[in-house]
Amino acid sequence: MNMKILLIFTVLFSSVLFALSQDRTPNATVRSIHLPDIRTDLKPGEGREKAESLCVICHSLDYIPMQPGFSKAQWAAIVNKMIKVFGAPINEADANLIINYLAEKYGSKE
Amino acid sequence: MRENERRIFVNTCKHRHGGSPDPGSKEVYSFLRGVIMTKNLTRRDFIRAVGGITAMAVSGDLGPDVFAAQKRMFQFPEKDELILLTSRPPNLETPLHHFKKRVTPNKSLFVRWHIANIPTSIDLKEWRLKVGGHTEKELLLSMDELKKFERVTYTAVIQCAGNGRSFFEPKIPGAQWEHGSMGNVTWTGARLRDILNRAGMKSGAIDVSFNGLDTGTLPTVHDFIRSLPADKAMEEDVMVAYEMNGEPLLLLNGYPARLVVPGWYAPYWIKALNEISVWPKRFEGFWMDIAYRIPDNPCACVPPGSTPQKTIPIRRMNTRSLILEPEDGARLSLKKPVRMMGIAFSGGFKIKDVIVSVDGGKNWREAKLGRDEGRYSWIQWFHTWVPSKPGRYGLMARAMNGIGESQPFESLWNPAGYMWNKIEKIGITVE
Repeated sequence: MNMKILLIFTVLFSSVLFALSQDRTPNATVRSIHLPDIRTDLKPGEGREKAESLCVICHSLDYIPMQPGFSKAQWAAIVNKMIKVFGAPINEADANLIINYLAEKYGSKE
Repeated sequence: MRENERRIFVNTCKHRHGGSPDPGSKEVYSFLRGVIMTKNLTRRDFIRAVGGITAMAVSGDLGPDVFAAQKRMFQFPEKDELILLTSRPPNLETPLHHFKKRVTPNKSLFVRWHIANIPTSIDLKEWRLKVGGHTEKELLLSMDELKKFERVTYTAVIQCAGNGRSFFEPKIPGAQWEHGSMGNVTWTGARLRDILNRAGMKSGAIDVSFNGLDTGTLPTVHDFIRSLPADKAMEEDVMVAYEMNGEPLLLLNGYPARLVVPGWYAPYWIKALNEISVWPKRFEGFWMDIAYRIPDNPCACVPPGSTPQKTIPIRRMNTRSLILEPEDGARLSLKKPVRMMGIAFSGGFKIKDVIVSVDGGKNWREAKLGRDEGRYSWIQWFHTWVPSKPGRYGLMARAMNGIGESQPFESLWNPAGYMWNKIEKIGITVE
């Protein structure tokens, strides 16, 4: 086969493949991004599962290890704010479990 | 999910894969992410996202889990590697070295969202800016219509109220920002005043409120709505911006339009703006009446750990300076000139002077100021000196603005950790 024709075919074929592989946006007025899925696991301990499954309803878990280390009273104030101010669906027993867990695992350094 | 979006860059921290995540929380997390994504993405995007999550769950590759509160670097879409504070909603801090540029590139600018459902897909054919309330008529502006208003451009510092929060003692809950929740950006858009005049504010307007497309994951989560006093809203320089540094806004920085209130802290600069309402009475809302408030006294401060009796909304930025060169802890050689450089800015009043000390604050000299980019921009400053003997040196810088506002030697504590502007001190060794 003539090399020129082969080349043309190859180019055409790759262009079609390239076009097919592209995400065809239905219209050019849409702009989108995909947020990365970033996982943070909390420290092992009693109450971790509750903290992981309930806190994540409203925010990622990295909010917890980011904090500089608070007393139990400070953690209680934070958890109660989530419940009373933002309406986090956490019952009293779970709240106590979570507060104890946070104070124990992410408590003040002293 | 595309590979480049999932790559994680880890600086100084330990980083391990896998682990044994609690299956329950994994399900909740994936489910919630799915819910969040369907809100803004097309069906195809949703299927792809869920597929990605499923594939990751099956392969056990759930991304890194990091215990430590150490800095993690991460690249979000349309962004450079930034310091990851939180991922949902995204809160990303700019590493200091980016501030050596006069203007902060879009991809380097910090990201700060309050509530988790943030807009990740915008169709300009659908998007409208609604302007109404206590007005003669209601406007529903498309981007084309917004761009028909007179175009204004200026460079202005954008800064989080909580920039520097992590330095306060005693420590304060919240996003633990260092100095990187700020940037200097050239904004372009329409004057808010022109838009409000088009709608025709009725007499007796008190407040103007601003809402964006972000929402909470629960109906009980207060929508992030903020307000300006009507007279502030009518000031010449308040803008509805649709460009940053000559480009459309980035989605993570509020595409397609955001409020720009130069000189005032960023909580007023509502992102993904879609609703402006004029109020004949004081606007009431959680984010004005409970959050973003400072002690009502001249220093906006209280004795560390105490509670103020009366608070007011945080507004204008205070005066700050930063040393960017040399870096803290640098070891430099004797007899070679030490080049110091940094930036200074204030809440809408020019920087009058920056003074620097190389002996821990005993003696001060005036630094040379760089090009003046206007009263809302930061300005660069420079100072070169030749150390005469080896040893440790404490370098400090202190800015003063055009109305005499400067920086304190001790931090001014307040319960929410706002307005950090203590004179910075870095240590270098000359040998």
